[in-house]
Amino acid sequence: MNETPILKAENLYYTYDNEKSHSLNGFSLEISQGKKVAFMGANGSGKSTFFLCCNGINRPYKGTLYYRGKPYDYSRKGLLELRSKVGIIFQDPDSQLFSASVYQEISFGILNLGVSAEEAQKEVEQVIEKLEITPFRHKPTHALSGGQKKQVSIADILVMHPDIIILDEPAAALDPKHTVLVNKIVNQLTQDGITVLMSTHDVNYALEWADEIVLLHKGQVLMHGSPLDVFTNKEMLEQTNLEQPAVLQLFESLCKKGILDASLPLPRNLSTLEGYIENIHTISK
Amino acid sequence: MITIDMLCYYSKLRYMNAMEKFTYAMLTLLFCVVSRSLVLAILVLIVNGILTVNKGGIPFSRYRHYLTIPLAFLILSTLAVIVNISRTPLDAFAFQIGSYYLTGSYASLYKGIQMILTALASVSCLYFLSFNTPMTDILSVLKKLHCPDLLVELMLLIYRYIFLLLDISFSISVSQDCRLGNRDFRTSMKSFGAMASVLLIRAMAKSGALYDAMEARCYDGRLLVLDEQYSPKSREIFWIAFFEILLLILTIWSKLR
Repeated sequence: MNETPILKAENLYYTYDNEKSHSLNGFSLEISQGKKVAFMGANGSGKSTFFLCCNGINRPYKGTLYYRGKPYDYSRKGLLELRSKVGIIFQDPDSQLFSASVYQEISFGILNLGVSAEEAQKEVEQVIEKLEITPFRHKPTHALSGGQKKQVSIADILVMHPDIIILDEPAAALDPKHTVLVNKIVNQLTQDGITVLMSTHDVNYALEWADEIVLLHKGQVLMHGSPLDVFTNKEMLEQTNLEQPAVLQLFESLCKKGILDASLPLPRNLSTLEGYIENIHTISK
Repeated sequence: MITIDMLCYYSKLRYMNAMEKFTYAMLTLLFCVVSRSLVLAILVLIVNGILTVNKGGIPFSRYRHYLTIPLAFLILSTLAVIVNISRTPLDAFAFQIGSYYLTGSYASLYKGIQMILTALASVSCLYFLSFNTPMTDILSVLKKLHCPDLLVELMLLIYRYIFLLLDISFSISVSQDCRLGNRDFRTSMKSFGAMASVLLIRAMAKSGALYDAMEARCYDGRLLVLDEQYSPKSREIFWIAFFEILLLILTIWSKLR
């Protein structure tokens, strides 16, 4: 079945400095509904610029973006409609949180959609419960930890029930505990059928989590494919300053040493690899 | 976090209805200013002290410390009212300096003490409000009182940005210290200037990013937010009404006296 992509970018060009250099330089991409897409690439490769274009904050000077097959409408009404469907969570939560009250902060987006105060209240309470914000809901935003701020910034968007959620490096500057928590929230989102676009430098997480990987280089899509296709292409990884995920490196090394059979399917996480090794152990017994 | 801001978030009276606290503080302040009565000022000081320290759970040492800050200013400014330089000594006290006297009358002494206590009692009303009510609750009260939206929204953003810019200035200051940026007066001045200019640039950049983030959430010129409501309790309203009526009687009595 040939489904219309939920988001399509066609030959986008965007510049921050009057066309001297291009942050997006002929960027084309199609994203299907319900997919988990990881955007990877070196700093300055155009990930954040593309995300801002998706939400209508940046308007490409050339090329077209489509949402569900319709080109973006940059009128005030069109943008409001678009932003109710495409939510973006910024890398630095301090750039997103404007209120000192967690409750006020979360209620902002949904009230802008024209929902009644009663319904907004119900939705805010639900999202607070769902994202485990209750223990710190009465704290001012400036007293929250980095991880808590990130939780609130995700709640800000989730409460608006968008079809697409964009996360710009959600685990940036988080400790391992909060990274796990944010990853858990992201997994919940995908289970709810929301299309999630995420930029990350964590190749191990991307391999395990994503349905598709988009490699960006100098404002263009260098490669778009399944995690295993992308992460086995060492040439492309090198161009984008990325390393192969540890699990693939280890698998390759074990295959070279003859410990594992190279015909085995490539593992996407450590537990699969552990299973392969366990099997050898059981057979040898 | 700034101490006052931290205290109000930990106050036991934080979840009391903000409008009740605001009404109590403002009416009491009004009676203090209108009556200028010593009895009323002492009563207000005691009641506000009990409410803030005993009921609110604010440490006494902190409360005393904050009260002494205006007290120092008050004493210094009241000295001008109490102390006179005159050729003739007045009834309360007189210290001779050559052919002049550093002197004061009982009336001016009374006036001075009355001014200090009235001002302190008034300040204690504001402390009661600020130690027990988070800024966002005060802003929601102002909104209910039909304070212009623009003003309330500006206050909300300014309040949030105070902490953001404080954080940035703190980290810049630490990094300057690490590189001996505050070695002497000259380098301190230079470092401070550099910090101020960086802060301005960062504030501009942050405001741009914040605007983008708000636009991304369908911001359309008005900051629409929900306020958490803590319903007023009839027992609290009764005691506030009782106390304010008592202050009203004291005010009338002091004016008729």
